[in-house]
Amino acid sequence: MTSPKEARNESPIVRPPRRRTSRRVVLGEGMAATLAASRLLAPSLFVGCSLGIPPRAAEVMIGLLHSQTGPLAIGSTSVRDIETHAVERFNAAGGILGQKVTARSPDTRSRTDLFPRRANELLDAGAVALFGCWSSASRKALLPILEARDTLLFYPVQYGGNETSRHVVYGGQIPNQQVLPAIDWLSSAAGGSRRKIFLLGSDIVSSRTTNFVAKKWLAEKGMTVAGEEYFPLDQVDFAPVVGRIVESGAECILNTVIGDGNIQLFGNLAAKVDAAKVPMLSTSISEDDLRSVPAGLADGHFVLSNYFQTVDIPANREWMAGFRAEFGRDRVFGDTMESAWSLIHLWKQAVEKAGSFATDAVRAAFASGLVFAGPGGPVALDPATQHCSRYFRLGKVRRDKLCDVVRSSEDPIPPDPYPQIAFPGWKCDWTRDGLQRGAEVSIDG
Amino acid sequence: MSYDFSWVYEMPPWRLALLMVALFVGYYWIGAIFVRPFLRMLVRRSPGINDLIGYVLSCFCVFYGLLLGLIAVTAYQNFAAADQNVTQEATALSSLYEDVSRYPEPFGQDLRWLLRDYTRYVIKYAWPAQQQGIVPQEGTIRVEALFDRLLDFQPKTKGEEILHAEALRQLNHFLECRRMRLYSVTTGLPASMWYVMFFGAAFNILLCWMFDTKFTTQLVLGGILAAYLGMTMYLIIDMNQPFRGGVSVPVDVFEVLYRRMDDV
Repeated sequence: MTSPKEARNESPIVRPPRRRTSRRVVLGEGMAATLAASRLLAPSLFVGCSLGIPPRAAEVMIGLLHSQTGPLAIGSTSVRDIETHAVERFNAAGGILGQKVTARSPDTRSRTDLFPRRANELLDAGAVALFGCWSSASRKALLPILEARDTLLFYPVQYGGNETSRHVVYGGQIPNQQVLPAIDWLSSAAGGSRRKIFLLGSDIVSSRTTNFVAKKWLAEKGMTVAGEEYFPLDQVDFAPVVGRIVESGAECILNTVIGDGNIQLFGNLAAKVDAAKVPMLSTSISEDDLRSVPAGLADGHFVLSNYFQTVDIPANREWMAGFRAEFGRDRVFGDTMESAWSLIHLWKQAVEKAGSFATDAVRAAFASGLVFAGPGGPVALDPATQHCSRYFRLGKVRRDKLCDVVRSSEDPIPPDPYPQIAFPGWKCDWTRDGLQRGAEVSIDG
Repeated sequence: MSYDFSWVYEMPPWRLALLMVALFVGYYWIGAIFVRPFLRMLVRRSPGINDLIGYVLSCFCVFYGLLLGLIAVTAYQNFAAADQNVTQEATALSSLYEDVSRYPEPFGQDLRWLLRDYTRYVIKYAWPAQQQGIVPQEGTIRVEALFDRLLDFQPKTKGEEILHAEALRQLNHFLECRRMRLYSVTTGLPASMWYVMFFGAAFNILLCWMFDTKFTTQLVLGGILAAYLGMTMYLIIDMNQPFRGGVSVPVDVFEVLYRRMDDV
């Protein structure tokens, strides 16, 4: 038998040793707590080390080359706006190839010498393509840069043709889509069977080339040139030439003057010429430009264009509504805006088909036959010439400075930058053997 | 060599606040664990050391608190001035729009379009650029176009002369406000002030580590002080650049103006 004491010894009550809160324990526990807290907070504070900073979308930049001051600003600014609108819509729909498109638009101040400089700056900044230019001189000034840096320019303005560059996509009308059908109309009974035409133009390549082609076609049609005159871009007084037009007995005026000069021209013309008897057909003026012409001065004259605001098709109504919702309800539209809109969408199509922004890949995608349903109707890019098919539309200026379409081609007219009547032997097919040169032609001759 | 801290403005404000608090509290706690034992070895045997540290700390806090307070006020004043200037720019733009709306056509329409274009540019492009600390460039082109077109107008009547003079006055006021806005895009405290503020905070905490208190008390009380320092720093950082971060000048006055322009 064991005594109670022994029993207690056999099974002693073992007290757990009292845990002392030593510095070491506190340090250890503190460290563990800190680590645990860090681990707990880390997901919210340092997610992917991003600190909650939204990731930047990949960006691609394009350059818009437009004159926002000077005599060419009147139309160029609207073109810049419509291109900006297109870019904003691309981005709203997720960008192009998943990349956000940014557009930089420096001011070329209506100075030809500034276009190459600004183009170089844009390309140095990483622009993948250029959109813009106005006069042919500005476009031609860019060609060496486009070739040296293998970049594409999307040129939206009507011009005189006689040019094909692998580095330019031409969106505006050329003479076979604009002036030649207009001469056909003038010579017809509907156009008044007119025979004597006075040629007016700005002293620029485009005007001279257009009139050169026009003269060949007039001769072909048995019509005569009543006179031919050219003016600097900043010309403000056209009264003397209006006097000479009246003296020449011209039955019609073909006007290729560009820029602000048209405002004064209409003013001087209205003082001496009745639009019903001697109408003026202008190639480089749109409803947007007509806003600047004082009321009543342009009434009854004609505008040659591929697009008018009054073209009543759903695509046009939707386009105008979309732009006005963003840029103002009283905005007016012009053919160069329509061309610029179509060109930037054709570029997008080409990039998406190519899966790349690289110039060669985009150019290769042209061969797939790109067509865009533009506000003025379908626009097809001809890969052979890199020009677009365009409608011919003749608009008669109304009192409200919009135009009624009095004649339109059935379908878009395929481009022919080298009408054989003016440039025999010249043709171009970039999908095959490129540019074939004919005999040298002097447009001043 | 300088390091670009501008990424802090791209964080959501609450995260920046939390980060600053965590940074200061973390610094305090880590120092309390690793540095404090060494500091206390220097001072623990001195009698009445807590009183001495308390006295030095309160003197230091007066100067540091004053500095911090004045800097916070300056940052707020910069912010408030930029805000007021933006309101004045929008007001001048609105008055100019009213004036040019009375011009004969096509000048009136051209000038209205140019003003709307400028306002749209400010909302869509200039503001996001400013929020990244970038001075927007293409607004200048729009202002030049506006100026050119306004100067193209030749008044023909006395009424038009008065209207034109008033429009030019408004234009000049608008240009002045615009220039002020662009200057304030990159405005901020100089680097030397930031050094003084952060070193001041570090010294403040250093003094607190020297207190001879229980370790847990040290962690809790010091942590509270460090958290408040972190919050104050957050406030100054956020207000430092008027167009960046959570506390920034909003673009809403221009948005209201743009909507009204389209209604006129």
